Amino acid sequence: MTDWTLFIPELYTLAAAGVFFILCMAGPDPRRDYAAALALSAAGLVLTVLSVGFEGLIFADVYRIDLYSQVFKVLVYSGFFLAVCLCSDLSGVDEARHGEFYLLLALSTLAMMLLVSSVHLLTIYIALELSSYSLYVLVYLRRGYEKGVESALKYFLTGAASSALMLFGFALVYGSGGSAYVADLMQSLPARINEPLVFAGFVLSLSGFFFKLAVFPFHLWAPDAYEGAPHQVSGYIATASKVAAIAVLMRFLAISGGHGEQIAWLLIALAIASMTAGNLAAVAQKDLKRLLAFSSVAHAGYVMIGILCLNPQGYTAAVFYALSLLVMKFTCFMIVVKASYGGRNININELAGLHYRAPVLALALLLALFGLAGIPPTIGFTAKLLVFKAAMDQGLLWLVIIAMFNVVISLYYYLLVLKAAYYTEPEVRAGAIAVAVPFKLLAAAMIFLMVAGGLYPAPVIGIAESMTAVLLPW
Amino acid sequence: MELHAAQFPFLSLLLLICIAGLALVLILPAKSNAAVKWVSAVCSGAALAVSVFLFAAYDRAAGGMQFVEQVEWIPSLGITYLNGIDGFGAPMLLLTGIVFFTGVLSMWELDYRVKEFFALFILLVTGVYGMFMALDLFFIFVWFDVSLLPMYLLIVIWGSSAREYGAMKLTLYLLFGSALILPGIIYLVSSSGLATFSIPELVQNARFSDFQQKIAFLLFYIGFGILAGVWPFHTWSPPGHVAAPTAVSMLHAGVLMKIGAFGILRVGMFLCPQGWIYWSPLMAALATIGIVYGVMVGLRQTDLKFVIGYSSVSHMGIVGLGFATMTVDGINGAVFQMFAHGIMTALFFSAVGHFYDRTHTREIGELGGLSRVMPAASGYFIIAALAGIGVPCLASFWAELLVFIGAFRSYPALAFISVSVLVVNALFMLRVVQKTCFGPVNERWANLGDMTFSMGFPRAVLAAAIVGFGLMPFLMYDVIQTAAVPLINGLSTLADQADADSVNTILSGLTSRLP
Repeated sequence: MTDWTLFIPELYTLAAAGVFFILCMAGPDPRRDYAAALALSAAGLVLTVLSVGFEGLIFADVYRIDLYSQVFKVLVYSGFFLAVCLCSDLSGVDEARHGEFYLLLALSTLAMMLLVSSVHLLTIYIALELSSYSLYVLVYLRRGYEKGVESALKYFLTGAASSALMLFGFALVYGSGGSAYVADLMQSLPARINEPLVFAGFVLSLSGFFFKLAVFPFHLWAPDAYEGAPHQVSGYIATASKVAAIAVLMRFLAISGGHGEQIAWLLIALAIASMTAGNLAAVAQKDLKRLLAFSSVAHAGYVMIGILCLNPQGYTAAVFYALSLLVMKFTCFMIVVKASYGGRNININELAGLHYRAPVLALALLLALFGLAGIPPTIGFTAKLLVFKAAMDQGLLWLVIIAMFNVVISLYYYLLVLKAAYYTEPEVRAGAIAVAVPFKLLAAAMIFLMVAGGLYPAPVIGIAESMTAVLLPW
Repeated sequence: MELHAAQFPFLSLLLLICIAGLALVLILPAKSNAAVKWVSAVCSGAALAVSVFLFAAYDRAAGGMQFVEQVEWIPSLGITYLNGIDGFGAPMLLLTGIVFFTGVLSMWELDYRVKEFFALFILLVTGVYGMFMALDLFFIFVWFDVSLLPMYLLIVIWGSSAREYGAMKLTLYLLFGSALILPGIIYLVSSSGLATFSIPELVQNARFSDFQQKIAFLLFYIGFGILAGVWPFHTWSPPGHVAAPTAVSMLHAGVLMKIGAFGILRVGMFLCPQGWIYWSPLMAALATIGIVYGVMVGLRQTDLKFVIGYSSVSHMGIVGLGFATMTVDGINGAVFQMFAHGIMTALFFSAVGHFYDRTHTREIGELGGLSRVMPAASGYFIIAALAGIGVPCLASFWAELLVFIGAFRSYPALAFISVSVLVVNALFMLRVVQKTCFGPVNERWANLGDMTFSMGFPRAVLAAAIVGFGLMPFLMYDVIQTAAVPLINGLSTLADQADADSVNTILSGLTSRLP
C-alpha cells in the first residue's frame, strides 16, 4: 500500500507546474507570473523542509524516502526558489515566455526530486532524462542571443550521447546483477564488480551522472550552455542540477559495496582531469559565465575526491560540498544577474566599480570567490577540508597536493574577478545598481551562510553524517 | 607541553577587540573618515594594551603554555578552539600590538577609501593575532589565510609602483605556501590516528614515524618558509613590499613574515622534531644563501624600499639560521630576531613612507641632506638603519649575537660567511644613510617641513622599543628562554644530534646575576 503522504512535496510541485501551465495559457503577464512563481516556490520549499524526517519505500519499492533524499530535496528546492528569486529582472527571456519558463523550471525541479529518491535503475534513468529535457529547452529560451541554438544543441547532443551510454551501462548492470533495484544490486554485485562485464556496465552507467555534474570528459557542454542560457538558468544548472547529480552519483556508487578500488582509480583519474582542465581553461576566460562554467568543472573534480573515498567520511564531505557549492555559485550568479544590463552577458572587467555601485553585492562576491577558491574562513574551505581529510585518511597525500596546486591556479582567476570588482575603475562612471531591500537581505543571508559555514560548520556536518550513514551499510 | 588554564580569556579578548573594531568600522557610514580612524586607533590601542599586559603577565618561572582557553569546536573532526601563548607566542603578540598601533597611526593622513582600508587592515591583524595564539592546527591554518588575503586588496587598491603585479605575485606565492601547509596538516592528523587537531595533544600522544615527520616537516618548511622569505622562495617579497602602502609594508615585513617563521617553529619543529633534525643542514644552507643573497642584491638597489625589502630577506635568513642550529642560543636568537626585525623594519618602512609622502621619490640618488630639512624623520630612519646593521645596545644586536653564537657551534663555516657578509652590509647601509640624510641638501626638498608630533609619535614608540629591548635584552630573553629550553631538551632526549652542550647558553650566567 503506497503511503501518498510521503509523496506530498512532489505532488505539490506537480500541482505548481499545473498552475504555471494555466498561467502560460492565460497570456503574458510577467509581474503576475513572477509573483506566482515566488509564492509557489517558497511554499514548496517550506513543504519540503517539513517533509524532512519522512521515511519509507513507496511505489513497489522503487522510490525511497529517507533523511538523505529529503535533505537533498531541500537543497534542490532551495536552488529552485533562489533561481526564482533572481527572476525579478528576467529580461533575458521573451516576456511572452515567462510562464513557460517557470513551468519548465518547476518540472525540472520535480524531476530532480524524483532523481534523489530513485532506487531503481529505470526510475533513475527516467528522472534524469526528465530533468534534462526541461533544461535543454530552458537553455534555448534566451532572447535574441545568436549563439543560443549552438549552446542548446551542444547541451542536447552531449546529453543524449551520455544518456545512451548510461542506458547501455544499465542494461549490462541489469543483465549481470539480475535486478534493477539498487538494494538488490548492492547484495549481488560487489563481489563481482571487477569482472569485465560488470565493471564496464558500471562505468558506462556513470556517464549520465558525469554529464550532469560536468565531469571531464563530459564537460564540453558546460561553457556554451552557461554562456548561452538566461542567467537564471545558468545559475539553476550550476546549483540545483549539480546538487542532484552529486546525490544520485553517491547513491549509485554505493552499489560497489566496499569493493570499489578499481572504480576509485578511475574516479581519481577523472577528478584530476576535471580539476586541471577546468582550472586551466577558466584562466583564459573573459566572459564571467564561461568562467563560472569552467570553475564548475573544476569543482566537480574536487567533489569527486570526496565521493571516490566510498566511505562515510568521504560521502559526508561530498554532501557538505554540495551545500557549499549551492551557496557560493548562487551568490556568484546573483551578482551576474544584478550587474548585467538587460540580461546581456557580462565580461569580467564590466564588474568595474562594483564596490561602490553595490557594496553588499561586492562583499558577497568577495566571500563567494574566496569560498570557491577554498580559503578560510568560508564555507568553501570547510568543504575542501572535509574532502581532503577523507582522501588523506585513505592515504592519498599526493592527490591532495595535486588538488591544492589546482586551488592555487583557481585563485588566480578568482583574484582577477575580484580585482575588477574592487580595484578597476569603470571607464564611464556608472551609477549605483538598484538593489531592492529583499534582495539585500538575500545577499546578507548568503554572506552569513558562507561565513558561518566556515567558522562553525559542526551542526551541518552532523546532519550530513546522519544522512550518509544509511547509504553505506557495510 | 604544560598547559596553564587562563583565569580570564585574555587571548579571546584580544581577538574580540579586533573583531569589535572591525564591526564598528564596517557599520560607520562610508564618508566618516575621521570616525573610522579614531575607532581604529582606539581598537589598536586597546589591543596593544592587552598585548603588553600579556607579555608582562606571562609567568617566566612557570613557563609552558599560559592563558590557555579551550572550547570544543567541531567534535566529529577533533577540532577545538584552543589558544595559549608560550615564550615564543608572547613576544610575537607584543610585536603585533606595537606594529598594529603604530601602523594605524602612520596611515592617519590617508584619504582614499578610508573605511575599506582600515576594515581590511584590522581583519589582517585579527588573523595575525589568531595565528600567534592558536594551538589547534585547524585554527592555525584559518588564521594564517585570514592574515594573507586582505593583503591582495590592500596592495592593489592603495599601493604604489607595479602594484597589480606585486599584489598578484605575492598572493599566489603565499597561497602556494598554504597549498603545501594544508596537506601537511591533514597528513599529520590522519596518520596520527588520534582524530585531533590540537598541537599539545599531538605532541604528547602521537607517534609519527621518521618518514612521516620528514615529509610533513618539508611541507611545513616550504609552505611557511615562502611567507618567511626563505631563499629561493623570497622573490615575492621585495616587489610586494615596494608596491604596498606604508602601513601595509610595516605590517607585512614587520609581522606577516614572522608568521611564516612562527609557523615553522610552532607546527614544524614542535610536531616533527625528527624532520627538523633531518632537514636542518638544508635549512642552514638556504638561510645562509638568503643572508648573502639579500645583502648582495641589496647593494645594487637604488630604491629605498627595495633596499629594505632585500635586507628583510637577509634578516629573515638569520632567523632561519637560528632555527637550523638546534641550540638554545640559536632559537633564542631567532625568536628575538623575529621581534627585533619586526620592530626595526616597521620603523624603517614608516620612515621611508614619510620621506616618500613628502618628496614623492624613494630614489637614493635624488634624496640628500634630509637631516637638515626633517631632523626628526631622518633620526628615526637612522635608528632603523643602525638597528638593521646590528649596532650594540639596539635590540637586533642581541638577537644576531645569539644566533651567531649558536651557529658558530653548529655550522662554523656558514656562520663565518654570514658574519663577513653582514659587515659588507653594514658599510652599505651607512652609505645609504649618508646619501639620504647627510650631504648637500637637494634644493627641491629645502622647504619641506619636518613631521609633526602626531606623525612622529608612532615612530617614537617603535624607536623606544628598539632601544629599550636593546638596553634590557633580558626582558625579552627570559621569556623566550622558557620555551626554547624545553624544546631543545626534548630534542636531546630524542636523538644524539643535539648534545647537552646545545642547552648551555651564553647569557644564562648573565641573566641569573641580574637583580
